Amino acid sequence: MSSTSGSATTPPASNDTIVRSKGKSRTGLYAVIAVVVVIVIILGAGYAAGWFKSSSSSGSSKGCTLPATATLDGAGSTLVAPLMIAWSLAYTASTVDYSAVGSGTGITDITSKTVDFGASDAPLNPAQRAAIPSPGVLTIPESAGAAVPIYNLPGVAGHVNLNGQILAEIYMQTITKWNDPQIAAINSGVTLPSQTIIPVHRSDGSGTTFVWSSFLSAANATWKNTLGHATTINWPSGELAEKGNSGVTTTVQETPYSIGYVDINYALTNGVAYGAVQNPTGNYIVANVTNIESAIKDSNPVFPAATGDWYNFSVLNAPGAHDYPIATFTYVFVYSDLGKAYSGYSQSKAENLVDFLSWIVGPTGQSYAAPLYYIPLSSSAVTFDTTAINSIVYNGATLPVCVPT
Amino acid sequence: MSLGNPFRSPTSKKRPRISKVGDQIFLTLLLLAVAGIIALTVGLVGALVFGSRMALQTLGLSILWTRTWDPPNNTWGILPFVVGTLVTSALALLIAVPLGLGAAIFLTEHAPAWLRAPVGQVIELLAAIPSIIFGFWGLIVLVPLMRSSVDPLLVRYLGWTGLFGGVIVGQDYLTASLVLAVMAIPTVTAISRDSIATVPRAQKEAALSIGATDWEVTRRAVVPYARSGIIAGAVLGLGRALGETMAVLLTIGNSPYLPTSFFSQGETIAAAIANYFTETDSGPLEIPVLLEAGLILLLITLAINVGARLVLARFQQGGGAAAE
Repeated sequence: MSSTSGSATTPPASNDTIVRSKGKSRTGLYAVIAVVVVIVIILGAGYAAGWFKSSSSSGSSKGCTLPATATLDGAGSTLVAPLMIAWSLAYTASTVDYSAVGSGTGITDITSKTVDFGASDAPLNPAQRAAIPSPGVLTIPESAGAAVPIYNLPGVAGHVNLNGQILAEIYMQTITKWNDPQIAAINSGVTLPSQTIIPVHRSDGSGTTFVWSSFLSAANATWKNTLGHATTINWPSGELAEKGNSGVTTTVQETPYSIGYVDINYALTNGVAYGAVQNPTGNYIVANVTNIESAIKDSNPVFPAATGDWYNFSVLNAPGAHDYPIATFTYVFVYSDLGKAYSGYSQSKAENLVDFLSWIVGPTGQSYAAPLYYIPLSSSAVTFDTTAINSIVYNGATLPVCVPT
Repeated sequence: MSLGNPFRSPTSKKRPRISKVGDQIFLTLLLLAVAGIIALTVGLVGALVFGSRMALQTLGLSILWTRTWDPPNNTWGILPFVVGTLVTSALALLIAVPLGLGAAIFLTEHAPAWLRAPVGQVIELLAAIPSIIFGFWGLIVLVPLMRSSVDPLLVRYLGWTGLFGGVIVGQDYLTASLVLAVMAIPTVTAISRDSIATVPRAQKEAALSIGATDWEVTRRAVVPYARSGIIAGAVLGLGRALGETMAVLLTIGNSPYLPTSFFSQGETIAAAIANYFTETDSGPLEIPVLLEAGLILLLITLAINVGARLVLARFQQGGGAAAE
């Protein structure tokens, strides 16, 4: 109990001390609150004045100025993540935030409209396509890569020969040792250890798993009938499961006698050994940008309509003698009518998104592919993509081509 | 503003009106805070129940004893995850409680005064480390260490038990349990230390006076007195272990199968939810099943907490710190 004001009347001496000390502590508290409030006001004013925005320099693909800058959100494939990140850093007309959460999550996110575009190495299966709300998405292949079998074999140099049949049996755990007769038979001259193979696969929904399991389904009938191909597989026990291409890479690098499947760029960037895979002509191919590119070309891919069903589209097992058999396109999913798809989506943001997509499939964007071990799009693919991107509308109206300054 | 005669007795009935309103506002804010917390808890549980209603209706609690987790083939068994959660947490506690209690006893009873504060602070620092760092450390440091050094020794000396079979990979139940133990130790230590510190000197002096050794004093006079606090610390550590996600995800191998040895790969409920929550490949039942698994984890945690409280109540007559 106390007086609330610093009273000038003379209370007893003991109360005097109490009042004074209480006053002192309150002043300190007020000072702290005042400082915090001032900081918040300064930060708020600064934010409003644009201190925290990066320079909104115009820089778009068509050499013209977009009306405003925007933040574009994308999510999905870890296979294409390094390239996406390079693009998001190089493209300055908008801020592009890409979350490498796996193709499965990318599909979930674009279905729930929490992102502007989804990225996946697996096309939409019929159930997923049906689940996409109106107005539906376009499937746009923005790059290509390949799945390679990485492994950790101490003391074994070079590239171990493997084929789809053996890989399927390894992952089904019917081949368990590295020096299994089937593996030794195609690797004469290589001393393989008698250790147990530790297969590593993906724990999250993965487009890389989709590509890998599609390849194994084509190679092994038991696999096709039991495990099939999807972004999630019912793997047998005794295997390790990791998140993302990077998780698989790290685990294989760390676990002796393990094998995993990742995109070629993860293998090359991290210096992880990977095997040569047998293609339909019988040759064992060590993947590189050249033979993946030729695989895509020799597959003579006929793209379905951008609004159509891509589930059976594949560039696996290309026919050429030197083609790598596990090539794959990687896709961007974007709504065909941005005004109708999202509530409160501004036209200027739609223009920004279309501009970004045009840029990444254009010559500047595609120039980032090869140095990162991705496959640049062929000219026919670029034509297809450009047509598809230009078909994106905003509330039914075509988006205006930005006027050159 | 006149406050009346300052020499009036403090127990005078006449009080300035303003303090009543202040009290009322204060009480209202307190009530709002409590109501808010209760509403949040109820809302959380309600959201889990609502989100999992499809699974509750079609599968009910059968997922709890179904052994196979196979979403592509519509088989929803979370038993491997439940076993994973319970076994890793129990093992973690089995390691953390002796170590944590030992550290607490050392800090309160036997450490020289200059050592107590720094060691105590180091242990508390361990509690502040984010769990993802533990997971990363576990993956990069502990997994290779276990695989190359510790696991072969365990096979050699303890292989006869039959619990250390299978291929030594590094990422397995044992490593994940060790990481969880490291995360639980600071909690156990801190609360045990506080609990032991409240044991009255009279207890220890009484034991010493009848000829007990240091160890006997600790074992017979100190620890039983501080029992309730130690158990509370253990339960809190267990709670941390039950819900831990990333640290386990990176060290357990993520294999949705029942274990056959300490070197088996496995999965916990929390890790399974983190791994599979954004799946759209296996139909609309997957997310409801995962939410139901989350609900079951909540119930397990609740059951353990209630059980611990019952145990504490039974030990209450032994006295000791009322650690919550």
